[in-house]
Parts: sequence; structure tokens; C-alpha cells
Amino acid sequence: MDNKTITITKDDLATAIRALLPAYNVYAPAGEGERLAFAALDESRLGAINLTGSPVIPPKELLFPRSESLYTLDPETGAATVPEIAESTLIFGVRPCDLRGIENLDAAFLEKGYVDSNYAKRRENTTIIALACVTSPYETCFCESMGGDPLAAKGADVLLTETKAGDAFTAAFQTPKGLQVKLLWDSLAMDCGSAPAMTEGSKPAMTEGSKPAMTGQHNTLRVTKPDDLPQRLMAAFDDPHWAVLSEACLGCGTCSYVCPTCYCFDIDRESGAKEITEYRCWDCCMFSDYSRMAGGHNPRPTKKERLRNRYLHKLAYFDERYGMTLCVGCGRCIAKCPASLDITEVIEWGGGAL
Amino acid sequence: MNYTEKTKLIQTRAAALLEAGEVSYVLGWGATRFADKTRARFARSPEEAATLVYNEHCTQSLAKYLVDDRWPETRIAILARGCESRAINRMIRDNQIRRENLLILGLPCEGTDAERCRSCRAHDPVVYDELLWEPNSTGAAAAAELSRYYRADAVDALSAAEKKAYWDDVYARCIRCYACRNACPVCSCRECFVDMHRTGFQGKRHSATDNQTFGVTRAFHVGDRCIECGECERACPMGLPILAQTQKILKEIEALAGDYEQGLDAAQDNYLGAFDLDDKDDFM
Amino acid sequence: MTKNNGNGNAINSSRTPAVAHDCSCESNPLVPTLCEIIGITEETGDVKTFRLRGTDGQKPFSPMPGQLAMISLPRTGEAMFSITSQGEDWIESSIKRVGELTEDLHDLEVGDILGVRGPYGNHFPVEELKGKNLLFVGGGIGLAPIRSLILYVLDHREDYLRLDVLYGSRSFQDLVFKADLFENWPGLCGTHITVDAEESCWDGHVGFVPNYLEEKAFSPDNCVAVICGPPIMIKFCLDKLAAMGFSKENIITTLEMRMKCGIGKCGRCNIGSKYVCLDGPVFTLAELDELPDEK
Repeated sequence: MDNKTITITKDDLATAIRALLPAYNVYAPAGEGERLAFAALDESRLGAINLTGSPVIPPKELLFPRSESLYTLDPETGAATVPEIAESTLIFGVRPCDLRGIENLDAAFLEKGYVDSNYAKRRENTTIIALACVTSPYETCFCESMGGDPLAAKGADVLLTETKAGDAFTAAFQTPKGLQVKLLWDSLAMDCGSAPAMTEGSKPAMTEGSKPAMTGQHNTLRVTKPDDLPQRLMAAFDDPHWAVLSEACLGCGTCSYVCPTCYCFDIDRESGAKEITEYRCWDCCMFSDYSRMAGGHNPRPTKKERLRNRYLHKLAYFDERYGMTLCVGCGRCIAKCPASLDITEVIEWGGGAL
Repeated sequence: MNYTEKTKLIQTRAAALLEAGEVSYVLGWGATRFADKTRARFARSPEEAATLVYNEHCTQSLAKYLVDDRWPETRIAILARGCESRAINRMIRDNQIRRENLLILGLPCEGTDAERCRSCRAHDPVVYDELLWEPNSTGAAAAAELSRYYRADAVDALSAAEKKAYWDDVYARCIRCYACRNACPVCSCRECFVDMHRTGFQGKRHSATDNQTFGVTRAFHVGDRCIECGECERACPMGLPILAQTQKILKEIEALAGDYEQGLDAAQDNYLGAFDLDDKDDFM
Repeated sequence: MTKNNGNGNAINSSRTPAVAHDCSCESNPLVPTLCEIIGITEETGDVKTFRLRGTDGQKPFSPMPGQLAMISLPRTGEAMFSITSQGEDWIESSIKRVGELTEDLHDLEVGDILGVRGPYGNHFPVEELKGKNLLFVGGGIGLAPIRSLILYVLDHREDYLRLDVLYGSRSFQDLVFKADLFENWPGLCGTHITVDAEESCWDGHVGFVPNYLEEKAFSPDNCVAVICGPPIMIKFCLDKLAAMGFSKENIITTLEMRMKCGIGKCGRCNIGSKYVCLDGPVFTLAELDELPDEK
């Protein structure tokens, strides 16, 4: 593996991304304030790139869209047509926690018997350029408490880290897909005026084994998560405290929809005169309809059972099944919950009060 | 009186009520680990009463929680500012809750961090059993920083094409999490039409069309009962201007019918839900 | 507990994405194949059995007893059903009218086309049951999934010892699979049929399934009970079986949950960390006791 790095000044960022446009559908955080979102880039939108925050809707939507057609049916014959998913996509500026969220999705969609073909194809076709969090984008970030490293993204194809001076990014190429990106940037250095800025081999802000002193002190929110949290929470399944934890919950889907690891979906169809579309869309286990069966029985009838299921899926069930926690500590659900619910209280309650 | 003193008053009164067994719980706000966030707190004992807080971060209106407990064993005490009290009136009118189940502890309010407070016309509670401190000297309709229909006015000022672009943008950004609906004290259907997937009223697919179907239907269902608390916008994780819709409906009703404000008492009809044989029908 | 359920989906235990494959219906586990209804049996006023054959004339798949099929109508949607029997080139599912999709299914006629995907889920442990006495306890439509096992066992009669079917419904009219209960099975296994209340057309046993079960006092020796029916019937039957001396390992049931994908992805049919569509629907009582009480 070629471990060379490249330094890109912030002034040259647009040039670097422009070089990727012919090869990929490029998505990057763009827009200001509430409009900050992973957006499809073209020449006209290069100026809108904004790497200062982390979008409310995580990049999982580019691998697992909010809605996607699974197939269409001809109403006459019933024959199914499956849409093609082929295009090369590049997601620029994925935060390390969101990358871990994608690794959770990999487990859910690609393991345990069946491969989800739409997800598998998108994942295969996607190159990820991660952006190390030199500062935590949310006050509610707690990735370090969940075993994350805001400065590392092992599974990313390329990792960008802001230099100490703050005027440039160091790009480390970590996979063969990452080296494809490097090829595009190398050629840029040869035939483009910005060549001097892209200094090959310059010292990265951090290298493997020499983590900067700031590691471990990024998040202001520190949460104590015991190793046996799944067992502790399962032992507390019937604890009356779940009712207390859920009483302020409004039962909306905000936490699930802003979560980089929530992957539950619904399948439904839209019936047109000439075409019937079977689609899947994000769903949320907090909705009353989620587990209600034909005939009316609902195994999780109130918000107490639903919230317990959501937290246990995150902190116990997923761990039992896939060996990883389904919470990466991105802090979005805490920042955005309209009732100020806080998953870290569940983690600490599970860890301390049992 | 500062927030520390007000918090003390709340805690003391709540503890006395719980001690005496007069209420099953006191619905107020409690602290979280974040200084700028509070959360609804259901204090069930004098000890829990001591954890109630009151400050400028109590941005959430508590009224919606009353529908979680429509048939309480004993009365519920609720801390109620102008917004909670108006919601309570409207919820009583809609047969969602019953006045006799409530002990309303009125809190004359100076506004919170929430943007909606900047257009509030009802800082002081309009219905209560007792006030915990003196009403605002400026009266219930304290001078608001923003005009009553500030969102609707801004949209009204746009051209037709701009309006379309404005709403297209809003509905493209909506994630249909239903936080607006779930936070809204007058969104009180036991089962919302959007949850009745099997009826085909509303597709579950994420599309601007489906998002708009939800948003517009909801706006019309609550528009003439909207008590203008702004919970919909406060709850929205995407920062969408949801109040613009209900403000627009209220503004139009006011233009047709004169003074129109909901939640001021529990007997008020809602304009679109009432009819009169003398109603104009020149559109027919 | 992972399985390769056919349909061309290999187990993938690595955490890296699978090799990209050509996009076609065959490679996407969520896409149904088309089947033609080649027979409809009216079991009761609200239960019909549909016999389905692929529109290509082939059997859509060969399920193991207890496995599930996702059945769909283009205009209405899909839902998961147990497969109650199978033949050379067909599978059969017995469907009770309870909601929108089942309402529409009941309107179909022989020759109509519907979508089928599967088979999903685990199956009754036919190997482990060899050399055992088997007691089948069913209530209402709950006999449908058990029937797949009864038919399998009758096909492999020499591998199993004494067989008893104890089945009940609200009324004589509500008894499903009457041909099996009164003609095909009586010579082959013990049949013990009951209805909830007295009726002029019924001269058999009257009473609820749990009470009849207690009355019959089956021996738990080398015996496995397989039970399916309404939750309340199961609850009382479990008490009776326990009192009769059946261990939790020797009681097997099959569950239903709301399902969407059928392949353990969409999340809604979980009980704890298990997915009913993938790890179930067949569980022993001992296994269920390990799971959270959320059924």
C-alpha cells in the first residue's frame, strides 16, 4: 500500500474536488446552518462546501436512501423490473463517527445469512473520504466514550486531517479506492497551477502511533460505558425505570432519522395506473404502526416498550448479534430530540444503577 | 424575582401538593446534563419535587403530555405559562382532557430562549387555579418583539413563483419525523391519518409530494385551533418554518371574521369547525 | 443460527461488502417470483387454502416444514404466511381473512397471479424429532403451520413413534382441514378434536383446547409437543403441558410478528436480538424463555 500523503490547502479544496467530478457523483457537506447537508456537487455548488459542521442528516442516506425503489411491477403481467444501481459515488467529508455508523450498516445489511443487494451495490460503488474531527461538531458529541477516535477512520478510503496551522488538510490514502483518488489528485498536481500547494510526502498532522496530545480530550461530554452494558441492560429489561425514561418521549422519529446507525426500514408500494412501485423507506421503531400486526395486536403497545426496544437495539441486541454497539456517540439524537431525551443517561444508568 | 427564587417557589408548592396527596404528580421541567437543555419532569414525590427547575431554557411547552394521561387516578398538577394555559383551554374544548383532572399552577412568563417566545402575546396564563408569582406588569399581551403573523407575513410578501420555490424547498427538507405533530398540543387525533398506511391516505415514501400532503393536511386540521405556541417549529429538527402555515390560516380567518385568537377560554369554537345558516356561500 | 435459505443468497460472514453482482430479479432477495393459483379450498368462512405454482410451471421453492412465504398482490402489498403443505410442483398456504391484503387474497380465483418469495425462517427440527412421540396441539388457524410438520412426519412415518393431533376451534364450521382431521389422518395418528361450545351439527368433544389437553393426559415420556394457536390458548396450554411433565426443551411453538423484509434486515420482527423471520418462527419454549417478554 502506498502510504504517501498529500497536503491540500483550503484554498485548493475546490480544485481538488473539481478533479473528482468527472469520475464520481460527489457528495459533500454544503450549505449554511440548518441547510447544511450532504449535497450532490457540481461545478456551480463547489463554493457551497462547508466542512465546519456535521450535517444533521448523516451520510448513511447516500448508501441507504430515505426512500428507494426496490422494483417496479407491470400491473398487467405482474413482471418485476429492478432498477440499476451502478454509478460511482464519492462521499467527501464523512466524520469518523459516521463512518463507524456505516460499518454498523455493513454488518446489518451484509451479514447474517442474506446480503441486501441494493446496499451491497451502493457500498461497492462508493468511495469515502473521511474528515477527522479536530474539534467536536456538536456540544453533544461523545464518540470517544463509545470507543471511537475522532481523528482516525480506519475504514475510510482517504482520511483528511486539518493541519495544526488550520490552513490545509493532509490526505492519507488508506485503501485501493483511496489510491484511485490519489491518482486523480496526482495528475492535478502535474497539469494544474495549484501544484505547489499539493505537496507530496509532507508531514501529516498525525500519523499512526503518534496521536496528537488532544486525543481523548475532544468531547466535552464524557460517558462511562461498562464493557458488559448489554448484559446489564438485559438484566434490567423489566425495570420500572424504563417508564420514567420514556415519559418525556414524544414518540416522533427524530432520533432515528438523524441517527447514523438506525437502519430499520419499511416496505410499501405505490400503485399507479401504468406502474406499481415497491419501495422501501426509513422507518422508526417509535411509531405506533411499526410493529402492529394485521388484526391489531402490537407487541410494543406504548412508548415505554418502544423506547426500551430502541435503546436495547442500540446498546444490547445489536451487540449480541453483530458484536458491536449500534451507537457511535455522534450526539445528534441528543442535540435534536424535541423532548431533550439523552441516550447517555441510559448508558450510565445501565452501567451504574444495576 | 429571579429564576432561582421562582424555582424555589415551584419546588415548595409541588412538594406540598405531593405531600398532601392532592395530586398524583406535578408536571414541570427538570435538569439534564446540559445547562441549556431542560426536560419534562413528572415529579411524583416531595423528593422529586426538589428536582424541578425553572429557567430560560424551559423552552418546551408541557401541555401535550396531558393526553398521555387522559384518565388520571387523582389530579395532575401542571406548571402552566401562557402557552400551556391556552393549550389546556383548547384541549378541553376538543374533549381531550378534563378541567377537573387538572390543578393548574400558573407561571407568569417572561419568555424563554425559544424563538416563538419573541412573538408571544400571552405571557401570563389565561386559566389557572393559582398563580405562583405576580403577573407581568405589562399585562398578558406583553409587547412582542415580532409581529403576530411574522412568518406568514414574510411568505405573503413573496411572489407566486417565489412562494412555490419557498414551499418546495421546505418540503424537500422535511424528513417527516412527525415531531411537529407529536409536539403540537392541538394535534390530538388518537390515530393520525398518516399512520393509517393501510388506508392509502398517505404514502410513507420520502418525497416532497408526500411530505407536502402531510404538512398541508396537518396545517388545515389544526390551523383554526392553533394556539400559536410554536411547539411545531421548536420541535422540528430541520428548522422548518411550520408556523407560517397556521399563522396564514389564522391571518385569513381574522381577515374574514375579525379578532380571532384560540385558547383564551375553554368554550371557544374554532372557525372552520362551526357553521351558521347565515354563512356566506357565494362560492357555491 | 444463520442459514442459507436458498434463493441464491450465500452466507456472508465478512464485514466487507459482497462482490458486486449483476442486477437481476434473481439476485435480489426482496423481489418476488410470480405464481399462479391452481387451487382454492374454502376451509371455513374466513380461511381459504391457496395452492400456488410458479407461472413457469415449476414449484416456486421447496420449503422445510414450518418455513414461511411472503405472498404479495401487486396493488395491495405483501405479508408473511406459513406454508402448510407442498407437492410435486406446488406449495399451499392457508390464509385467514384479517386485514386488507388477506381480504383481497380471498377475492382471488383459480388462475389469478400473485407474487411469492421465500422460503424464510428456520423450520421444525425434523431430524431431532426422529424416534420421538409427537403431540401436535393446535387452535383455529394455528393448525396451518403445524400441518406442514404433520404431513412431513406422515411421509416419513417410520422415523417417528406415536403421533397425536389435538385440535380445536370456536365451532365445527371453524375447524380447518376437515378432510385431514376426519378422513385422512384418523387411521394414521390419534386425532382429538374439540369445539368451544355445543352445536347440533357436532357430536364430538366440547370444550377449550387447554382443558381437553389436560383431560387427555398425554405422557411426556420421550414426547415433544408442537403447539400453535391464539396467544391465550398457548398460554394456558403451556401451563397444562408443564403440569403434565413436559420440559421446556420438549415444547416447540411457532410465532408470528409483523414482518416486512423476511431476511432479517428491516428490524421490526425482533424479539430481543432474534429476528422471527430469520431465527424463527420456530422456537422451543426454552429458547423463548431466554428472550425478552415482548411477543
